[in-house]
Amino acid sequence: MKTVNREQSSMIRSGQRILTLISIFIILLIASAETASAKLTARANHDHINIDFFYHGSTVSVSGVTDPGTELIIKIASPEGHEALKEKGKVGGILWMNVGTKKFENVPNLYSIHSARKLDEMLNREEQDRYVIGYPALSRHAEIDPVTSADEKAKWFDEFLKYKERSNLYTATDGKIEMTEKDGEQAYYILTQWPYQAPPGDYIVTVYAVKDGKVVDRAESRVQVEQAGLVKTLAGMAKSNAALYGFISIVSALGAGFGVGLVFRKGGGAH
Amino acid sequence: MYLYLPVALTSINILIPVGLGLAVGLLSGLFGVGGGFLMTPLLIMFGIPSTVAAATDSNQIVAASTSGTYAHWKVGNVDFKMGFHLLIGGFIGGLFGVQAIKVLKAMGNADFVIKMTYVLMLGIVGTYMFAESLNAIRKSRNRTAEAAPAQEKEGSFTRLLKSLPLQTRYEKSGVTHSMILPIGFGGFVGVLAALMGVGGGFLMVPVMVYILRMPMHVVVGTSLFQILFNCIEVTFLQAYTNHSVDFILAVLLLLGSTVGAQVGAVFGRKLKGEQLKIILAVIVLLVTVKIVFDLTLTPSLLLTQAGGH
Repeated sequence: MKTVNREQSSMIRSGQRILTLISIFIILLIASAETASAKLTARANHDHINIDFFYHGSTVSVSGVTDPGTELIIKIASPEGHEALKEKGKVGGILWMNVGTKKFENVPNLYSIHSARKLDEMLNREEQDRYVIGYPALSRHAEIDPVTSADEKAKWFDEFLKYKERSNLYTATDGKIEMTEKDGEQAYYILTQWPYQAPPGDYIVTVYAVKDGKVVDRAESRVQVEQAGLVKTLAGMAKSNAALYGFISIVSALGAGFGVGLVFRKGGGAH
Repeated sequence: MYLYLPVALTSINILIPVGLGLAVGLLSGLFGVGGGFLMTPLLIMFGIPSTVAAATDSNQIVAASTSGTYAHWKVGNVDFKMGFHLLIGGFIGGLFGVQAIKVLKAMGNADFVIKMTYVLMLGIVGTYMFAESLNAIRKSRNRTAEAAPAQEKEGSFTRLLKSLPLQTRYEKSGVTHSMILPIGFGGFVGVLAALMGVGGGFLMVPVMVYILRMPMHVVVGTSLFQILFNCIEVTFLQAYTNHSVDFILAVLLLLGSTVGAQVGAVFGRKLKGEQLKIILAVIVLLVTVKIVFDLTLTPSLLLTQAGGH
């Protein structure tokens, strides 16, 4: 391309500046080819999950097409944030109790990784770290305070994982992405369980196309989780109209207690 | 069937809260305790965040204790005068308790002191009640005819109590005490309850039985009356300052607990005071043992949700 550029610039001087700009643009385009050239697409079937009274989690399927010869890793995560958790430790050598607070920085509340094969076989460590793909990468990305050594950090990150996996907020699976070949394109599909423990908020689904240990393309989709109807009204009221909410809670409880008392009297309880 | 809880932000099988409510309500109607020492840890076990569990439980107890107080009042087992005096004490004690927590937190070993106080209190109260009621049951078996007169051996402590000013007759309980006594001991229980973050029914009941010498059946009714007011206050404060009362969870719990409290009250009338005391003592001791296990066995998770939001 530079040869073309040179030929043209020698012919028309006034066009030189424009062409220089174009050439810079082309070079930039080539540099970022990994996002522009391939035809990866991603679509989540549920981009909007409504939480109503009967909500007990959901399923989210992610599908799209990718270049043949690439393998996929799908990451579903909430934006990174911080979390403070109580830490249990031994007091006096025998008693377990809360001994302090551990702060976790740069950790998403929900983090779910689905890879075509084992992560380490697909992606080298630098790439894992660059895109924060996989628990080991997340552990290097996260900051924990207070910890005194790398060993201690690793230990507490493991505890953090256990805590998150227990409430289904962190998952990691491999080999669950279905691939089908059609018209020279590769279609993929995965069905994931959406945990009811995931609070309302915006979640990002990122699909990474991987080749030769590197990410060559990526595509994004969003999942928005929102409370709806009476659930939304009650949750909103508990926060923004707390006094009235408290008052209603108490009056309802008093009413229910009296009501049941009256029913039992009519039912002919003993004297 | 599952329902989503808007404040707890989790989904729960409705049979769990209704069943828990029924069981704890039964204990409440039987023994005059709120049952927070059982309910709160159980709710946490089923995935409810700890702050929401405690706050919502107090909302539920408002319903259960209304139901229970009403059932006991119908048969004349609520001493309102005594209840009011205990409440005054409890209210003042609660204020001191909250300050005491601040002091302990500043000293940095709040958790240890609070847990130890809790275990010791439960253990001492449970053991004492168990031993005493076992003794009483044995005695009443040995000499069924002349049980009452033998109790009238006045110690110096009893004489001291009788010499206090402001002596008042508590008609329903059939006792005469200085007003200072229920207010003072109500305050003592209030301090401890605030410290331990529990309603304190399991402490108030023994105070009424052993110190105020009230008959067990009146104790149960009066304790529920007193708990009702405490829990109204706590529910409001929790809803107002912490936004941690889950209305839907409270409704599910009270569906069970209001009925349980009625059944408990009816069932309790069929049992003797001593029998009630010994069963309560066993429950308190079992809870003590459970807490001791929790403290000594390695927990499966070393990280837990922080208390406040």
